[in-house]
Amino acid sequence: MSTGHTTPETPQQDGAPRPEVTPPGPWSFPVPTRQTLSNGIEVLAYDIPGQYVISVRTALPLPLSAEPREVEGVATVMARLLDEGTAEHSPEEFAELLERKGIALGASVNEAGVGVDLDVPKRRLEEALDLLRLALSEPVFPQTEVDRIRRTRLAEIEQERALAPQRAARAFVATFYDAQDRASRPSAGTATSISALTRQDVVDFHARHVGPQGMTAVVAGDLSDLDVFGMVERTLGTWTAEASVPDAVPALRAADAARIVLVDRPGSVQSEVLVGCAGPDRRVEGGWAPYPVLGFVVGGSPNARVDAVLREEKGYTYGIRSVFRPRSSGGLFLTSGSVRADATVESVQLLLEILGSGREGFGEEEVRSGVDFVSKTAPGRYATADAVADEASTMALEGLTTEFTTRNLEQMRELGPKDLQEAYRRWVQGEWTVVVVGDASTYADAIRELGVGEVTVVPN
Amino acid sequence: MPLDYPIHEFTLPNGLRVVVSPDTSVPNVTVNLWVNVGSRHEVAGRTGFAHLFEHLMFQGSRNIASGEHFTRLMAEGGRLNATTWFDRTNYFETVPKGAYELALWMEADRHGYLLDAVNQENLDNQRDVVKEEKRQRYDNVPYGKALIEVYAAVFPEGHPYHHPTIGSMEDLDAASVEDVHEFFRRYYGPNNTVLTLVGDLTPEEGFAAAERYFGHLPASAETPRANLPQLEPLPAPVHVDRPGPVPNDRLHIAFRLPADNTEEFFAAALAIDALGGLSTSRLVQRLVRREQVANAVQAHAMGFVDGVSLGFFVVDVAEGQDPQAIEAAVVEELERFAKEGPTEVEAESAMAQSERSWLSALAGQEERADLISQHALLHGDAQFINTFLDRIGQVTPDQVRAAAQAWLAPESRAVVRHLVATQEDAA
Repeated sequence: MSTGHTTPETPQQDGAPRPEVTPPGPWSFPVPTRQTLSNGIEVLAYDIPGQYVISVRTALPLPLSAEPREVEGVATVMARLLDEGTAEHSPEEFAELLERKGIALGASVNEAGVGVDLDVPKRRLEEALDLLRLALSEPVFPQTEVDRIRRTRLAEIEQERALAPQRAARAFVATFYDAQDRASRPSAGTATSISALTRQDVVDFHARHVGPQGMTAVVAGDLSDLDVFGMVERTLGTWTAEASVPDAVPALRAADAARIVLVDRPGSVQSEVLVGCAGPDRRVEGGWAPYPVLGFVVGGSPNARVDAVLREEKGYTYGIRSVFRPRSSGGLFLTSGSVRADATVESVQLLLEILGSGREGFGEEEVRSGVDFVSKTAPGRYATADAVADEASTMALEGLTTEFTTRNLEQMRELGPKDLQEAYRRWVQGEWTVVVVGDASTYADAIRELGVGEVTVVPN
Repeated sequence: MPLDYPIHEFTLPNGLRVVVSPDTSVPNVTVNLWVNVGSRHEVAGRTGFAHLFEHLMFQGSRNIASGEHFTRLMAEGGRLNATTWFDRTNYFETVPKGAYELALWMEADRHGYLLDAVNQENLDNQRDVVKEEKRQRYDNVPYGKALIEVYAAVFPEGHPYHHPTIGSMEDLDAASVEDVHEFFRRYYGPNNTVLTLVGDLTPEEGFAAAERYFGHLPASAETPRANLPQLEPLPAPVHVDRPGPVPNDRLHIAFRLPADNTEEFFAAALAIDALGGLSTSRLVQRLVRREQVANAVQAHAMGFVDGVSLGFFVVDVAEGQDPQAIEAAVVEELERFAKEGPTEVEAESAMAQSERSWLSALAGQEERADLISQHALLHGDAQFINTFLDRIGQVTPDQVRAAAQAWLAPESRAVVRHLVATQEDAA
């Protein structure tokens, strides 16, 4: 594994010599002002001068295990219906109110909870917050809209089945997690559970679980001359509802997770490969700081370990990426990408070797470049209102604040090769779950012969 | 709301147009270069070449090792890449202020002395990488070739936009090291390039750094040809059917539009928004909400410079619904819009959403720099980011109606239909 490069000493003809780089100054994540509203909503206001579109995020921690087993996906359907009709406005009226003010509103659900995103030009903020209040507090879930959203979710399930990365992800969670665990099934529900759910299920789920208690509202952007807390109190602050949030429990790994599943798609010109194992969450012992760096040095750029071989040396792929993905409790270490169909076997073998090589440690320069990339890009990655708001709401869903983001970056700068090796070894122990989506008939036997795990072929 | 992002311009003696837009809110500098070459300049038998060439720009140059562009700048806290499109190729990095001169030095090295490092081995490797990019993004994806089919249906054979930027496998195979040399000599040079610097620097610093690192490069690029004249709308409807293994039927209904940066293009783009780009658009209201025959409707206007642009609607057909009937409904709505124009609500909504999305686009330094370069290079207007909202604000509902009548007439449509293959089709 080559980790360095040499710099030629001859200067460029007629041009200026190669300039030296001066180190950046200190930086920390923007600090919010905070206030708890009378109804319990925790408000975080980030003033970012010059950001004229204000980003608002509400984050409500809510584990998916709150969904009844037979109607899984009800949280997602409920979220998608929040702006489809309220007590005061029909779905079309509500859409018109949003569009005329230039508001973008969307809601989503993940394993950690329910989030609503709203972006609006500064001068419309208060009107937008009041529409957000209506969407959260008074959705009426008209039957025709429930039917429509169910139908589009069913079509979406078929789209996901047709897209190799999504199909691989579905096979991965089904293999990696215990079949009894909610995490083994799609967050937004299956064709069976979506077909089974009724309007009453949606109404009940909203009434039971969506309320101001435990919710965080983030407002980020140019807040000069705005009474943000007053605005939020007059709008979201008037919402009263009793709701209960069950405790989150860690997802359970399947006893036989370490195996290979080939999803068969005859005629595929590429194979989508997804390799993963258990990973940490942000509260992990020893700290979260090593993991973004490890993701980068293993598979975060065209010259990281994986693509240095599979892309730049072999030309088998446009790019393969590694990431440590934290969940509210526990997490995953995932590496994924598409490779040329006839290079599938060699790619899987190389990938497992390269992923295993991290246990032998990381070079000084490799570690330094990874730490510098993740920490020195932070000011730019968090420069806009939407990026700040997204980070704050991600943290809120996990019961953290953006002080964590700042502290984590500080800890990252102190990391050395030994810290990275220890962190990597804690999770990477050769227990891989491997999914390949492609033309299984052309490589199933050869994959078996690799002897890296029991192989199962499943239909697409 | 008038925008006033600072814009300072200077042209070096070798023709490099430099724009500096100071922004001290973040201790970074974005370096953004637009070169006036894209797939519209490719010749028959060499489609996909501009993009393949862009990949080679990361494989080393006179003083830079293969891959060093990524490794060095990322290790300094840089985020970087490059993209190729019909009209142009761009190269960009956002780095901490203390590294921006290194970024400029590295850009100047490859924009001046790429050919010192090009060889058969790195051409072959990146050709393989680009083929995998094509398979991943187009060939192995349901509907992945739909836009390629739209370009071929809407623009005539031999027109610069008839073929896609990704090109064909055969043409990628045919590309040689000699082609790389010829392409570089013809199109790359400071006199065919715009350099934009946005971030924590003064205009004086930016201009001096541009001079220091790019000033010695010769004005080596050939003079670009003039843009082609405006294409008229399609004379008659075109239909292309592609049965295949797709989850549901999907229609792309496409039109030629006026060239970018004209009042007529802005009016046509607003018409497309009002018809299908908003959740309150009449196609969405009718097909998705009321009749529930479609799962989704999207609408897009893509501005180009070579005498034509592209507008299209994408309709995802709900299960069991008739694509022909849906197309007829779209035709009906297009005819009605051409007669009546936008309602007050549609006009207001299209403007309000344009304003928000424009302000969001300008919120980050990277995209702001990219938009400055775009309009400086292709339209000679570095101030565009400040004036765009005022310009579209002046477009009247009647101009929107007239643009729809002229450019979105049903008889000028091209329809690409991806249809769920029945057993007989598949056999």
